[in-house]
Amino acid sequence: MSPEPIMIQSVARATRILKALGSEQARLGVTELADRLGLAKATVYGLLRTLEAHQFVEQDLETGKYRLGPALLQLGNAFLENHELRARSLLWAESLATRIREAVHVGVLHRPSVLIVHHVFRPDDSVQILEVGASIPWHACALGKTMVAYLEPEERRELLDGGLPRLTGRTITDPDVLARELARIARDGYAVEDQEAIVGEAGVAAALFDHRGIIVGAIGVSGPVEHLLPDGPATDAVAAVKEAARGLSRELGAGRLAIPGAGA
Amino acid sequence: MDAACVRHWLEVAAARIEAERNYLTQLDAAIGDADHGTNMHRGFNAVLARMSALDGATPGQLLIQAGRTFVSIVGGAAGPLYGTAFVQAGQALGDGEAFGPKRLVEAIRASLEGVQRVGAAVDGDKTMVDALTRGLSAFEDGLRNGTLEAAVRAARAAAMEGMRATIPLQARKGRASYLGPRSVGHQDPGATSTALLFAAMEDAVLAQRSQRLAAGPTGRLGDLHEP
Repeated sequence: MSPEPIMIQSVARATRILKALGSEQARLGVTELADRLGLAKATVYGLLRTLEAHQFVEQDLETGKYRLGPALLQLGNAFLENHELRARSLLWAESLATRIREAVHVGVLHRPSVLIVHHVFRPDDSVQILEVGASIPWHACALGKTMVAYLEPEERRELLDGGLPRLTGRTITDPDVLARELARIARDGYAVEDQEAIVGEAGVAAALFDHRGIIVGAIGVSGPVEHLLPDGPATDAVAAVKEAARGLSRELGAGRLAIPGAGA
Repeated sequence: MDAACVRHWLEVAAARIEAERNYLTQLDAAIGDADHGTNMHRGFNAVLARMSALDGATPGQLLIQAGRTFVSIVGGAAGPLYGTAFVQAGQALGDGEAFGPKRLVEAIRASLEGVQRVGAAVDGDKTMVDALTRGLSAFEDGLRNGTLEAAVRAARAAAMEGMRATIPLQARKGRASYLGPRSVGHQDPGATSTALLFAAMEDAVLAQRSQRLAAGPTGRLGDLHEP
């Protein structure tokens, strides 16, 4: 075991307050927060007042309860703007969506989930919700499976053994079955999701590599199962996703050899 | 209850879905793909079109065909989920020409189990299961303590309550779950369409009952109980 890294207790407590306010119950009073975090009310109050001064939280005037503040939106936007993978993927994602006529997602591994950092709507003028910031369990989506397929064996094992919750009747929850699928993904260079996260929805994704040949994310299309998996994965979608992933990886500095299936 | 009752249920359900089509889509726009109203409407239109070609079908066959139509016509999650629900209900009704309240309980239970097999949702995940679970248990309780009419009324009220209870919940299944805390404060569209189907069930059962009473002595109350 490495020694405990240096931690500032009050900063840690402040982050716990922010996370509590970002959870299901979005408005909490001082007493509720103190109970939930196991801290003295005076401590929580001091932390809230400090966060409030920086607009990280704000107080509801009617109820006196606290909620997240507007400064967090600015930080969230700054996170996305500074996200190199997201910035570089914009054009590739757009052209992939246009080509396959389905939504495109770019995600990074945020164990044990995939964090969506970019989302291009399905180009059909329908109302859709921006899924940037969404968190999808890695084992239930093509983005996650394709990234984990290329991790070091011990990291992969850890994720496989870390619990595979069921999201639909088709989610793969058996680590051995999933391990075999990951081997296939690593061999073929793309992953398929058949209603494993959402009933009726399918996905095809491929991993993104940087100049060190290390996994930095994944790009994929998702849409109705009858479109993307009419009778096995649609060949045009697989080809387009692999092409986008190869092109984007090269832009990120990955050499030909680092990209699985680049010769294909 | 007989095939005419099932047909009437499907017709009333179709009419209720059509009337609430925009409302369902609006609800879905907040936490989903804004297509639930359109999808359900398309599905029920196709079901009604199919029904006219099914003269002489048993109640079970009607529901199985309705389910297959849903699976093949309706996109998104609604097609496989409602399709499975109808097929399972149809199979639970068996091949009889008529069915009693106990069979209906089994059919609703089979629907719920089918939906849970496909969607893996439990009560409280903010899905159609929330309305279906409560509708089923109120229907069972209602039959135990009273008449079929009282039971369908209780089932409708409970399904509506399950629907409204989805509002403060955070979604744990489906696209809405991607939104995390942002899904809080919105009523689930799937629970809403399920509540509409329970309302249609009450309409259909009460309509059959009043026809029988109007028909005179043959419309004995005993007809409403297990044949």
